[in-house]
Amino acid sequence: MPDTQLTAPRAVAIPRRPGLWRQGWRRLRRNRSGMVGLTLVGLLVITALLCPVLAPYDPNDQSAMIDYAANAPPNRAHVMGTDRMGYDVASRVIYGAPTALAVGVGAMLVASLIGTILGGLSGYAGGIADELLMRFTEFFLVIPVFIVILAMVRLFGIIVVGTPLENVPYLNLGTIIMLLGIFGWPPIARLARAEFLRLKQAEFVEAARCIGARPRAIVFRHILPNALPSLIVVVALGTGGAILAEAMISFLGFGDPKAVSWGQLLYFNYGTLRVAPWASIAPGLAIFLSVLGFNLLADGLSDAFNPRTRR
Amino acid sequence: MSEALLQAEDLRVHFFTAAGVARAVDGVDLSVGARETLGLVGESGSGKTMTSLALLRLVPPPGRIVGGKIRFEGQDLLARRRRAMQAIRGKRIGMVFQNPAHSLDPLMTIGAQLVEVLRWHERLTRTAAETRAADLLALVGIGDARVRMRQYPHELSGGMKQRVCIARALLCNPVLVLADEPTTNLDVTIQAQILDLLHDLKDRLRTSMILVTHDMGVLARMADRITVMYAGRICETADARTIFRTPQHPYTRALLESVPRADRDYGPTGRRLPAIRGRPPDLVHPPSGCRFHPRCPEAGEDCRALLPLEFPIAPGHTVSCLRRGSPGVPT
Repeated sequence: MPDTQLTAPRAVAIPRRPGLWRQGWRRLRRNRSGMVGLTLVGLLVITALLCPVLAPYDPNDQSAMIDYAANAPPNRAHVMGTDRMGYDVASRVIYGAPTALAVGVGAMLVASLIGTILGGLSGYAGGIADELLMRFTEFFLVIPVFIVILAMVRLFGIIVVGTPLENVPYLNLGTIIMLLGIFGWPPIARLARAEFLRLKQAEFVEAARCIGARPRAIVFRHILPNALPSLIVVVALGTGGAILAEAMISFLGFGDPKAVSWGQLLYFNYGTLRVAPWASIAPGLAIFLSVLGFNLLADGLSDAFNPRTRR
Repeated sequence: MSEALLQAEDLRVHFFTAAGVARAVDGVDLSVGARETLGLVGESGSGKTMTSLALLRLVPPPGRIVGGKIRFEGQDLLARRRRAMQAIRGKRIGMVFQNPAHSLDPLMTIGAQLVEVLRWHERLTRTAAETRAADLLALVGIGDARVRMRQYPHELSGGMKQRVCIARALLCNPVLVLADEPTTNLDVTIQAQILDLLHDLKDRLRTSMILVTHDMGVLARMADRITVMYAGRICETADARTIFRTPQHPYTRALLESVPRADRDYGPTGRRLPAIRGRPPDLVHPPSGCRFHPRCPEAGEDCRALLPLEFPIAPGHTVSCLRRGSPGVPT
């Protein structure tokens, strides 16, 4: 404490110090990898929102096939070339962005809803409820998720045939999103539990209880907002994971045939890797950059919100 | 003293830990009259904080209130339903905590945290609640109340945060304020200000107060009556003047002896500041007989065997010590 510091004169406006969120944002701004991540994620979001404007061709335009221009290398008409079906690679990759984003965000919405509710309940209630919920969470952690998802996607695709559900657009993609969410919540639940346990005993929560706060107010007004910064980090990480998982599912041919997805582009085009490498490299790169973006962002966010855990 | 505002009888709080049952509060009687300040004093671990939390029925697990009676405004608090307790906490009984830095939610503005309390308890409109909150902030000596209400706790100094906490405790005009070491975490200069503020507000708002502390100096300034606790039991209760002038229990005497006094020389030439020898007892395995006997200068054989009960040696002055005539029960 420097003793030269003077007390501020009364009339001067009281200086505002930034709050937790703004401090976090400032630290994120200074964090190089976090900003790279944010830029990549930002690019993905912009591409997804503006895909009809950005894409030079319709994603289902196969007219290059007629002109004997399938498997064409990048040229003036097709900046990233065309693939073996005559699709414009650039347009297909651009139209893959909304799919990837829908999968990432959708799966994480489902996962964070389940994870926060179960983890929060577990941490807040404690005792036998905690014990049961955590064993349940561990059960979900040891399931070979990928195989179960593949089986369920295929099974559901068969069950649906002949029912009104058959006509729901992007049903298959929706199933994948739901399943990724349903199997992706355990890490979120574990963190939510830890945060609720910590905050349940925090002095300000204790204080709120002493001034007559009802349990609902304690959970929603005091505990949850304070748990959010940590939860956001795992959610960002999970979003990248979900995008990667959907790419893998689609690459194995279990994806939605009607949706344009990067994994599916790889699945369609890896056979012509030697003839038209651009048709595989472009979606591969898109997956790589998106997942990298979310991971770097998560890294940056974790540094920004928990600056003491590092160094 | 007429009818007491709050009266606890034979209050018992036990902690059920893996090491055994810790009897943190073991048969405590205390009472606070209207507009009275009761000082609850004792070393760390003497059960004074648990006693005050038990009065609100907020003993944290694995602790539980296992026995006793709490009468407050003519009702038995231990028999009330949980919902009814929520209506008492913050409304009829306000609480000020030890650590102002941690007892405000870091993500909510000061104003929101004050308005929140009023909206739970008083059904005020938002504007009415804001006006009341601003009035109270002004009352506890915070200038620019309207500006401060838009700020977050980290933007305020420690003393100011404690003022906010005091304002929060007083928002609904409680009849009793529980202050648990309200000045322990503050600078000495701020301590004096906060104590003056509490004293002044208590008089102006005609509330009673239970002041939990380990600082005899604070009590000398604030308390009307003092209850001295040791190892979950009460040693001595009397009005403040009696406690300071003619303390009877050996523990009270030792506690007062260990406070430095301006008229004594403790320097290299003078005497050492006396400390109470030994350590506070393990509450899972408390000593037999009188809890204080292993550290007591006056202890005899009987102190080892008999647990002294509270005994009135003068009107309004009770002591639990076999040497002062208390009856004992074998343990």
